[in-house]
Amino acid sequence: MSDGYHGFEEEEFAASMDRRTIRRIVSLVRPYWKWVLGFVAAVGIVSFIDAFLTYLSQQLIDRAIIPRDEVVLGEVAVQYIIAMLVQAAFVFAFIYLCGILGQRVQYDLRKKMFDHLQGLSLSYYSKTPVGWIMSRLTSDTERIADLVTWGMLDITWGVTNIIVSLTFMMLINWQLGLVILVLVPVLVRIAIWFEKRILSEYRKSRKANSRITGAYNENITGVRVTKALRREKRNLEEFSELTGDYYQAAFRAAWLSALFLPAVQLLMAFGIGAVVLFGGIQVNQGTMTIGGIQAFIGYITFMLWPILELARVFASMQHGVASAERVFSLIDAKADVVDKPTVIDVGTIRGDIVFDNVQFHYGDESAVLKDFNLTVRAGETIALVGPTGAGKSTIVNLVTRFYEPTGGRILINGVDYTDMPMRMIQSRIGMVLQTPHLFSGNIRENIRYGRLEATDAEIEEASKLAGAHDFIVTLPKGYEEEVGEGGNLLSVGQKQLISLARAVLANPEVFIMDEATSSVDTLTEALIQRGMEQMMNGRTSFIIAHRLSTIRRADRILVIEKGGISEMGTHSELLRQRGHYYSLYTQQFRREAEEKFEAEAEAMMEEEAPSHA
Amino acid sequence: MSTIDFLDLQKQIASSRARGLWTLMIGYRAIYVGSMVALALSGIAKTLSFLLLATFVDEALLTEDVVRAVALIALSFIGLALVEGAFSFLSGRLAAQTAEGVTQRLRNFMFDHLQRLSFPYHDKAQTGDLIQRVTSDISAIQRFYSEQVVQLGRVLLLFVINFVALLSLNTTLALSSTIIVPFIAIVSLFFFRRIEKAYDDYQAADAKLSTVLQENLSGVRVVKAFARQPYEEKKFDHENSSRFAKGRRLLSLHSLYWPVSDILASGQMLAGLMLGATMVMRGDITLGTFLAYAGMIIWIVQPMRGLGRLIVQASTGLVSFDRIAGVVREEQEPLKEGTQRPQTVQGDLVFENVSFEYETDVPVLHDISFSVKPGEIVALLGSTGSGKTTLVSLLPRFYEYTSGRILLDGVPLTDYPKEVLRDFIGIVEQEPFLFSRTIRDNIAYGVDRQVTDEEVIAAAQAAAIHERILQFPQGYDTIVGEKGVTLSGGQKQRVAIARTILKNPRILLLDDATSSVDTETEAEIRGALENLMSARTTFVIAHRIQSVMIADQILVMDKGRIVQRGSHDELVNQPGTYRQIYDLQARIESELEKEIASV
Repeated sequence: MSDGYHGFEEEEFAASMDRRTIRRIVSLVRPYWKWVLGFVAAVGIVSFIDAFLTYLSQQLIDRAIIPRDEVVLGEVAVQYIIAMLVQAAFVFAFIYLCGILGQRVQYDLRKKMFDHLQGLSLSYYSKTPVGWIMSRLTSDTERIADLVTWGMLDITWGVTNIIVSLTFMMLINWQLGLVILVLVPVLVRIAIWFEKRILSEYRKSRKANSRITGAYNENITGVRVTKALRREKRNLEEFSELTGDYYQAAFRAAWLSALFLPAVQLLMAFGIGAVVLFGGIQVNQGTMTIGGIQAFIGYITFMLWPILELARVFASMQHGVASAERVFSLIDAKADVVDKPTVIDVGTIRGDIVFDNVQFHYGDESAVLKDFNLTVRAGETIALVGPTGAGKSTIVNLVTRFYEPTGGRILINGVDYTDMPMRMIQSRIGMVLQTPHLFSGNIRENIRYGRLEATDAEIEEASKLAGAHDFIVTLPKGYEEEVGEGGNLLSVGQKQLISLARAVLANPEVFIMDEATSSVDTLTEALIQRGMEQMMNGRTSFIIAHRLSTIRRADRILVIEKGGISEMGTHSELLRQRGHYYSLYTQQFRREAEEKFEAEAEAMMEEEAPSHA
Repeated sequence: MSTIDFLDLQKQIASSRARGLWTLMIGYRAIYVGSMVALALSGIAKTLSFLLLATFVDEALLTEDVVRAVALIALSFIGLALVEGAFSFLSGRLAAQTAEGVTQRLRNFMFDHLQRLSFPYHDKAQTGDLIQRVTSDISAIQRFYSEQVVQLGRVLLLFVINFVALLSLNTTLALSSTIIVPFIAIVSLFFFRRIEKAYDDYQAADAKLSTVLQENLSGVRVVKAFARQPYEEKKFDHENSSRFAKGRRLLSLHSLYWPVSDILASGQMLAGLMLGATMVMRGDITLGTFLAYAGMIIWIVQPMRGLGRLIVQASTGLVSFDRIAGVVREEQEPLKEGTQRPQTVQGDLVFENVSFEYETDVPVLHDISFSVKPGEIVALLGSTGSGKTTLVSLLPRFYEYTSGRILLDGVPLTDYPKEVLRDFIGIVEQEPFLFSRTIRDNIAYGVDRQVTDEEVIAAAQAAAIHERILQFPQGYDTIVGEKGVTLSGGQKQRVAIARTILKNPRILLLDDATSSVDTETEAEIRGALENLMSARTTFVIAHRIQSVMIADQILVMDKGRIVQRGSHDELVNQPGTYRQIYDLQARIESELEKEIASV
């Protein structure tokens, strides 16, 4: 299991900023270029007005306060109010545009990925962990959206802030401006130095944190063993090493962050010191104003923030690009079972099903089926028995065309089934899985999944045929009862009855069932048997069978072993051979007999002593 | 436990949140207060630099030796920045030390606490919920100390410091410039209550979308089998759109709040600046005072905008504390209580009228009496729910019997401390739990000392798993479980047997150890078990005759009572449940033969 998963480890950063990836990221927002233009312009204006307000306060000091000019004071006030209102409007605009565009991009990406996933073949799902796909649609889409919205915004804001501040400074006093200009690259270097270290400690702490979570998980699930083996003290010692590692990394990251801001501010203080010194002398000489010095101090603070943010923004951009690469890898995945360009929709799959020299292997693995030949007559019931991993499910997966043969052909009614549309075949097959899958929602909705336009009456009719009706009506809300996530509010037996009803409602031409190995109570078992009878009647059926009654009822039994049919025939024929089937059968016979006895004994005890119930 | 930073919260935890959070800080209180003091000092240094600006404009620029005076001011600026930075760093560092230290200790405590909570507690607890509490809730508490309290403190300290400084400059100016502050605080809180609500809705929509996605992915066969792709796409789109709508609402609130609070804050600043400017022009205050004022007013008004967010966030930290405290208050099972601490025991056991109930008035075991001599094998036979597993769970005192008594070597079980008792007992469960570490570590897991490789190998050989282990590429260093190799049921079973062999207990409890494996493996495990059972008092739980025949004493159980007892030979020759089971198995065989003959 572990070996196959190496390809799915999370990479935090993109190996390189691949130009093609960037172009594809840009293409995600291309339909919304007006929005992008809107928020970029809005944040640029906001940044400009910030600088303008500082300029206004210089005007206030130099042209109103010092010369005691009340007219100018009034003018400044009016300009200030206008600037303030305009700025508020643009703040609203950029938060709104950026935020909603981010949501829009997430929506689009999710839709695109989900729809793409629906078309992918089962082989993709069997080699890709569900958790991996989930992360692509959730956290990765968020990161990409952040990259094209807030990331872009931060950059625009930072660049405008620095340029506008420097320009204003140059306009006020270019010599002092140059002094500040020299400081910028130094500041950038310091910011990057810090950010690198903080990030690396942060990553260490995250790793330690996931180990801590793992340890907690084992601590709770294995608590009974811990208690029995009296491991409490040593477990705690081991665990405290993990929390110690976490403390080291988290504390280092935290105090580095705490040092970062003062370090940058201190450097800025040198800039302010220079402004005070040289500016002060110039004021004395009359070449600079007090308002000018005040404005200079304001602009220096202005430049501080974008530089502080710079390294962080860059790191999150790298995250975003790495996310995009993973998302694109999902979108680029190709289905390996696809329809040919021209297919014939004959509208039915009734008829004989023939496996003609079928070969099959999963991916690069060794062959699961070799030279497999089988002719199934229309309406025949085939029971597949044999050990786990022998290839029973593979045969079923080939019939449903979840996979196609890697060699040989499968013919339906004499036609190679790859000449037919996949949807046509699959929509005419009814399937009940070993661990039936239900969707959140109520029972009625789950049964209706078999035929979306079915009426309530038809749903009840199907449930009755499947033997599910009786238990459904005993539930407090009947058909309206919620089944819970994945159906986990119901028992396995109940889930099977509902999925049988779902299959009955679909009225398929071919029926496939994978019987449960885990025991269900006798009553439910009997109901399931009845439901299966109903389905097998008059339909070509493939049953991966475990129960004796199912096996005995089948028209033909196939014992599958190591990728081929080792024995084939009716129940009595095979028993007489005294081969694999014989030993499988006797084993199952003993097991079922014991189960039956236990159930009977329990029922007897219940009758004898009802008071203990 | 001197090396581990540990605080016994059980004795300390208080009922109210505020006191509880204060309790968690034991040992760090001075540091945390120090962090706040440093925060204040850093704020004072910043404010002083604004006052310095006033001196610069009002005095330095007017002195004879301007260069010297200005240079002095410039140096003072740098000096103040240095002081401000140093205290700001110190404050951050001390706060981080407290937050990380307190939560590290809390993590350690919770880990230990969880493994010391009783069996009945763990029977009821949900793993996912507990994990949530010890991970996200502890992180929320960490942020409470490291961010929320510090930021709230910063907002308030900046306000007080700058306000006092303003008062010292000019009372009218100071009072008039804070009029808006309560309004900003109220608006901020008003918005963030709603923003928080909108955020919860957004999260809920996000969770729903994830559920639909997850069910679609894990049910991919069903989707394909019914060709329901278009239906699924519609369903997903519905949730995706709903998430988009919730996101838009959240964003709309944000995009309204920030400009509104901007206008409030800037309006106050403009009013203050105009008032200040007029006062300078009238000669009430100096230009320097005005400049200092203009600098300080920002630090009074702007931080208030974030107040609502901080209060809402801090309240989530409090909720997390409640969730943690709920677990902390659960009673631990005492491991050390008891007077008997023998080096070893014989394994002589007597049950006298023992009864047990999980909940009051729902008896699980009734009036159980029997005795076992050292080294004997006792088999418990009965159907599911007859009380077999419960009965053996009483021996390590996983559950405490509610009446009667159990004597071990003539001494009541309750006189042995649990930690002593459990050292004498070995358990092999029906589905053994292995830890995700190496096979070697798993085998040595139950022994509290350094174990040599030879001992581990000897145990593995006795458990008939040594050969199989060598077949793994990493041998004994193979990691098992989620992150490593998945072992089959029979292999796990034998590793668990090796683990028990190495522990070398006097009393052995085997819970249906062969029920879930195929016939071939069963034979191997049976051999391993026989090695294990020799010279130990052994309890075997089983439901097949074959597994209990070798027992010295068989107890047939039903509904929490012993209905029959004796050796195989005795029981088979008297009417009763045992004979019925025995007969049944014979009947099954003959029926099977009949059926095969008939075909």
